[in-house]
Amino acid sequence: MSLAAEAFVSQMAAAEPWPENATLYQPLKEDQILLSDCASSLAVQAYLRMCGLPVQVVCRANAEYMSPSGKIPFIHVGNQVVSELGPIVQFTKAKGHSLSDGLDDVQRAEMKAYMELVNNMLLTAELYIQWCDEATAAEISRPRYSSPYSWPLSRILSYQKQWEVRRKINAIGWGGKTLEQVYEDVSQCCQALSQRLGTQPYFFNKQPTELDALVFGHLFTILTTRLTNSELAERIKSYSNLLSFCRRIEQTYFEDKSS
Amino acid sequence: MFQTTGCVYKVSSSVRLSSSWFVEGLPLVLADPAQAYAQFAGAPLKLRKISNPWRSPSGFLPALRTNGKETLSRPSDIIIHLRKQKYNADFDLSAKEGADSLAFISLMEEKLMPALVRKPTRLVRKTFPHTKHGSCFQIYAFWIEPKNYVDVTRCWYAAHMPFPLNFFLPGRMQRQQLEKLRLLRGDEGLEAGEDLEKELYRDAAECMNLLSQRLGSQKFFFGDSPSSLDAYVFGHLAPILKSKLPNGKLQQHLKSLDNLTNFCTNILLLYFPRDGQESSGPKGSSQPEGGDFDHVPHKRRKQFLSALVALGAMLSYAFMTGMVSIQHIQQEALEEPPDLQPLGSHEEEGDG
Repeated sequence: MSLAAEAFVSQMAAAEPWPENATLYQPLKEDQILLSDCASSLAVQAYLRMCGLPVQVVCRANAEYMSPSGKIPFIHVGNQVVSELGPIVQFTKAKGHSLSDGLDDVQRAEMKAYMELVNNMLLTAELYIQWCDEATAAEISRPRYSSPYSWPLSRILSYQKQWEVRRKINAIGWGGKTLEQVYEDVSQCCQALSQRLGTQPYFFNKQPTELDALVFGHLFTILTTRLTNSELAERIKSYSNLLSFCRRIEQTYFEDKSS
Repeated sequence: MFQTTGCVYKVSSSVRLSSSWFVEGLPLVLADPAQAYAQFAGAPLKLRKISNPWRSPSGFLPALRTNGKETLSRPSDIIIHLRKQKYNADFDLSAKEGADSLAFISLMEEKLMPALVRKPTRLVRKTFPHTKHGSCFQIYAFWIEPKNYVDVTRCWYAAHMPFPLNFFLPGRMQRQQLEKLRLLRGDEGLEAGEDLEKELYRDAAECMNLLSQRLGSQKFFFGDSPSSLDAYVFGHLAPILKSKLPNGKLQQHLKSLDNLTNFCTNILLLYFPRDGQESSGPKGSSQPEGGDFDHVPHKRRKQFLSALVALGAMLSYAFMTGMVSIQHIQQEALEEPPDLQPLGSHEEEGDG
């Protein structure tokens, strides 16, 4: 989004309160959505719930093409459409809902840094495992990704997507990595998160922030998704405070609806 | 002053590290945390400057050659190697501080740092993270920003590459960098336009602000001694601070953050005393002194070589047109006793 458009959106956003009929779009939950998209979507949902903003989740097979940035998830609020966690956080802030107001400058810098850490390592690792590990790509990613489409199109789209992601992975220098190295990186990231969390309920003490939403989205999705092998989840399970962190957020913010 | 082109460090005849570390004026191929790290940890390395990346043992800069004939090229691998050899700058960090360094390095890689550093994988704490978006900014500042690219980066590379390469390599490198930037931003129709520039500058400036906030009034990021995070931050900010790009918005922003500027100058003075003098000239360390971009390494050698080539060309022309002929002289010199005629007359005979 260009700067001018962004400024315009935030101005517009400030004018209106959060409507009741806000919608979050994501791909089909049962058949189509992939690990990384599911994680990002869950992070946004967790964030909105932490803010206390109601949102209705809608599954669409073409969600990826509906999104303004081509990324999932995106929310439709009033007459605006915003995609991805970062811009959504900005957007809600413009409407007067923010989780990070209570932090001082140093903490805010640290929060941003940790969010980049998660995007940098967990999200990239998810993409790598989905599309660059041939077993996972053939067994799970390609069939699921193309499930709404019929034969010739499904193959074309899924291979196109795989090619695109691989190019990106190569550009950031992960192309030469082995699966084992990627798992090792995930471990490193989780170790850092676990050390930072320590025994606190949330990363910055009593109040949840967008960092908590992001970490929860990724860890919870990895823990509850079945892949070709469970190595990725096993790596996370060795950090007990991260597990109880996920459970805590799930109970606090998601329990009432599921029960 | 472009002197410091690339470097090799040598540890008491056992380890060598070549890196492209430009203290000033530099289209830095690689701002090099590994080198700063080695300095902080007190590893006895020796610097060797090279200007052609292909001459490095691994084809990349920097590179570290150990006595085991091993060549390490990624900054992170070099740091791990140094750690194994008991040169460690992170001994007194707590677990939480280690985690924080990891996070801030991610932040910089995402927002500021160049993907120039091919695969910044493992740094300290066994692993440091990985570029996801490689730093769009420095790619932009050095390669895409039209003014900077034409005035500085391209000239610099053209001047420092061997002859036939300098015509096409800079252009090819620029296209590669643009391609990379496109992939990283996930935007196919990327142009080197105003919007892109603003966006990248904004991200980079935000990253600097965050670093500055985190540093506060401390001397180093974690207490009184430098750690790998300091090496990382310094390795990437010092080149921005010291470079003389015509379009230096980012440099201006960095200069407005006093604590970060001081942080860089301090480290430069403390750990790179020679480079510091060399680069800062008469003390005013961060003042650009107007460009002498035409400085070329091995000037003497090049002058000598070009004189040699010119001489060769002249001589061969002389031979080809038959102005001079050695064979005739020798044959006639053999036929007739040398004493009989003065040398000059032989050449005249050769002409005919």
